[in-house]
Amino acid sequence: MRNPPGNLLIVIVASVLVAVAPAAAQDAPYTAPRLVGTENPDLNGIWQALNTANWDLRPHAAAPSAFPILLGAFGAVPPGQSVIEGNEIPYQPWAAEKQRENFEGRFTRPLDLVTNETTGDPETKCYLPGVPRATYLPFPFQVFQTPGQILIAYEYASAIRQIHVGREPPSPNKSWMGWSIGHWEGDTLVVDVTDQMGQSWLDRAGNFYSEAVHVVERYTPISPDHLMYEATIEDPNVFTRPWTIRMPLYRRIEANAELMEFKCIEFVEDFMWGHFIEDSND
Amino acid sequence: MSDRFLNLGGLAMVAVLVLIVQAPATGQTQRTPWGDPDLQGVYTYETATPMERPEQLGDKEFYTEAEIAEMKAELDEQNAARRAARATISRILDPRVPKTGVTNRTSLIIDPPNGRLPPLTPEAQQLQDERKAERASRNISRVGDGGTVTDDLVYNSWLDLSDYRRCIARVIPRHWALYNHGIQILQTPGYVVIHYESMHDARIIPLDGRPALDASIRQWNGSSRGHWEGTTLVVHMTNKTDKQTWHSWGTANAIEGNTLLPVGNMEFVERLTRIDENAIEYQVTVNDPTTWTAPWTYVMPWRGGDESGDEYKGPEDLFEYACHEGNYRFMENTLKGSRRMLELD
Repeated sequence: MRNPPGNLLIVIVASVLVAVAPAAAQDAPYTAPRLVGTENPDLNGIWQALNTANWDLRPHAAAPSAFPILLGAFGAVPPGQSVIEGNEIPYQPWAAEKQRENFEGRFTRPLDLVTNETTGDPETKCYLPGVPRATYLPFPFQVFQTPGQILIAYEYASAIRQIHVGREPPSPNKSWMGWSIGHWEGDTLVVDVTDQMGQSWLDRAGNFYSEAVHVVERYTPISPDHLMYEATIEDPNVFTRPWTIRMPLYRRIEANAELMEFKCIEFVEDFMWGHFIEDSND
Repeated sequence: MSDRFLNLGGLAMVAVLVLIVQAPATGQTQRTPWGDPDLQGVYTYETATPMERPEQLGDKEFYTEAEIAEMKAELDEQNAARRAARATISRILDPRVPKTGVTNRTSLIIDPPNGRLPPLTPEAQQLQDERKAERASRNISRVGDGGTVTDDLVYNSWLDLSDYRRCIARVIPRHWALYNHGIQILQTPGYVVIHYESMHDARIIPLDGRPALDASIRQWNGSSRGHWEGTTLVVHMTNKTDKQTWHSWGTANAIEGNTLLPVGNMEFVERLTRIDENAIEYQVTVNDPTTWTAPWTYVMPWRGGDESGDEYKGPEDLFEYACHEGNYRFMENTLKGSRRMLELD
């Protein structure tokens, strides 16, 4: 009461701040906490995509499972909008045809015995998923980020990736999960992935790439519990131009969240090897 | 009084010795920026020391320096010969004899003091006998040209093969490997992760004191929970599955034979301590009263940097172990071959 004008001024300033603050918070980019001992954002945590990209990256309506008489509603395809910038995958004509063949033959037994190449969706065989599919399989994955080295452990098939950061050791050979070299662009972790086997698929719809693929991933924190994930896919053997998928990744915030085992090999052995011990000539 | 005084003097002497012995291990503790002891690095668990001590050595725990020098010379000679003979074979498959990992220990097992596994319980012995008999019943002996006898096992199904050959998992703790024995340890606040190159397993060890997974959940690699005791990471591993057996290659370097005992009841306490810039001491106590009549403990170094030989110096030396993806022909030939052997028999 002794100094009412001062108090009034504080109230006015406070009101203005309250009015301005939410707008500022919405406009300003999110700044993530730093990884202890570094200037980089801390991406550690258990993350998971929450979409239907693994069924089809493209826009798709719900569809029955391939075996509705056996499975009923189990295994039916959940509907989803596109995660592709521009909604279309820019296939070369032959590749568009191949994608349709892939889809038709997605449950084909492994390995074409004539060409010695795998056929069917690698996920049905519990094969390592490749990049970017590993990111949006409906399983969590955990990032272990240290200043020079990042390890991503995926629940699906115990898949693993090392990302070398700040150094570029040469790839010794092709591999299913590829060779990953990372660097920081501001608060975005950019990962160049090369030297994949070229037998991985992008989804259950048969979308695919070849061994020439170059994937550039971008992981950007957008809130304490969200990363924005982008992958640009370039493959002159299969596509007419580079194209990009984008999706948020969600932190698994359960107090007891942890990766468990989905070592799916034991679930596919009958499918893969059963015909070797049955009475047949194949 | 004088006796007591002497005893106290003795105790003091022991205490001083303990301090002197421990000083190098604890003197320069490397720490992470958030203060945990730093175990990070790339290591190999390759070792030339057998799990069990040769019986004739009795309670002799260590070789003398002279004996070690002789063994190393012998090892170098064997390696040179093997390398020469296998010059055209992939380097990865070459080092059947470890180039590194020679310690002065006579066995990895340090408890019981005779360096050998404790006796099996009667139940475990019976189960092992039954499983060995079942295995033997699948053996087909053939006499070839010149009277050489060839033994072949019939595999009626993939289930007759080990989880290793099915590319599913390998028993953790690992104690020996023919190849792909690289390990990478990374640490983040609240976690230690051990990446085993073989089987591309990331073993994630939370340090937040959470309970093990529910006992109804059984996993190939179990459930691991860690905490720090001084500079030592102590990991309790439980929740293993009986689908896995305590298998090993039946060589002198590993536990004798293929014991085929289920690991489901086995509990492990692992202790990881940095002993110098390049090495971790890895100690494991195995406890399963349904299998062995006593707990037992083994210890081995995990070596990194220059001590690791020329194979695992940095993270880029760990490569993808895509086993299942290349297992088609192995399974086809094994299973079809077994059917053919039965037809011929």
